[in-house]
Amino acid sequence: MKDSIANNSTASISQARKAVEQLKMEACMDRIKVSKAAADLMAYCEAHIREDPLIVPVPASENPFREKKFFCTIL
Amino acid sequence: MATQEVPLNETLAHLKTESETLKSKLEEERAKLHDVELHQVAEKVEGLGQFVMKTRRTLKGHGNKVLCMDWCKDKRRIVSSSQDGKVIVWDAFTTNKEHAVTMPCTWVMACAYAPSGCAVACGGLDNKCSVYPLSLDKNENLAAKKKSVAMHTNYLSACSFTNSDMQILTSSGDGTCALWDVESGQLLQSFHGHAADVLCLDLAPSETGNTFVSGGCDKKANVWDMRSGQCIQSFETHESDINSVRYYPSGDAFASGSDDATCRLYDLRADREVAIYSKDSIIFGVSSVDFSLSGRLLFGGYNDYTINVWDVLKGTRVSILFGHENRVSTLRVSPDGTAFCTGSWDHTLRIWA
Repeated sequence: MKDSIANNSTASISQARKAVEQLKMEACMDRIKVSKAAADLMAYCEAHIREDPLIVPVPASENPFREKKFFCTIL
Repeated sequence: MATQEVPLNETLAHLKTESETLKSKLEEERAKLHDVELHQVAEKVEGLGQFVMKTRRTLKGHGNKVLCMDWCKDKRRIVSSSQDGKVIVWDAFTTNKEHAVTMPCTWVMACAYAPSGCAVACGGLDNKCSVYPLSLDKNENLAAKKKSVAMHTNYLSACSFTNSDMQILTSSGDGTCALWDVESGQLLQSFHGHAADVLCLDLAPSETGNTFVSGGCDKKANVWDMRSGQCIQSFETHESDINSVRYYPSGDAFASGSDDATCRLYDLRADREVAIYSKDSIIFGVSSVDFSLSGRLLFGGYNDYTINVWDVLKGTRVSILFGHENRVSTLRVSPDGTAFCTGSWDHTLRIWA
């Protein structure tokens, strides 16, 4: 009985140790400022927005979902 | 005997304190770089115009709740899976069903299209992920060629092929994610770190390397290194289960959707949450999120049957879409960004453009 209590504690300890190691590793990360991260996100949007068919719609004839004609398959 | 137990308890308490101290230090480090909010920086960006997005196709055929869907790289085929155990492959242009498979289990919660377009993977309450090669012969029984690839000890919540048909990444109710070799069924890497069911995953866009993000019932979103199995970053700001995670197209950030009725954006290089997409009037959970091609729009499928469209940079909602008659359970933008597809508990899928 006491052995199993000891085992449970050992398992919790090894879990707690892993959590501490994980946190130490995460703490060492090189981070950038939010202003720089935000600027990069905006730059990406800006660079790709004209190619985004849901924002800058392509002519209906080029978007197969928007055009009205229906497809038929020849059986 | 008592003296043997006391040191163990002391060490545990000591480790817990160290853990708390490290967490505070992490928060401090992150806060130092929090010099501005994304929506403030985005004030100078031009606003988006009015959106006219409507249902262009309705795919009917499932006999019960649609739980998951995925696009084929050919931008027209879709695979969907349902609570009734059926997995259907559709041609979204014509709405025709091309293939149908009946799984031996109900609640097929995950399905994915292989990059080649020649196979689909699916799984759910059977705790497995199986791959079905798609045959050009419509009469062939797909179930005969089924290959069991992944084995978890609880339900399969999500699956995704990596860059090729050869490897599959899975997440499970057993709290782990795993990478499998399709041909041999061998486990290549397992990912431990979530404290509860893992509900979703997304692979980083191929240019950004071998990482993926997962979200779980422990309210955490974890970023993993696929080669080492190591968790490299972890984010815990949601107040409830994270149902969906999706990378921003550049790979520098990812969005998440949660039962706490919010979507959030996390920047990986700033290592923090940089935006929350929420409104007081939105009280139902988000089941599924995806970005438009440029990353400017974030689509969220909600449990109140609607789709909310958010301006990612400004943090505002630009549109709300109605149509489904029950929860939206899955949402994916097509590979070329011309449309997005939603699946719902109302048994249908809708294509919006």
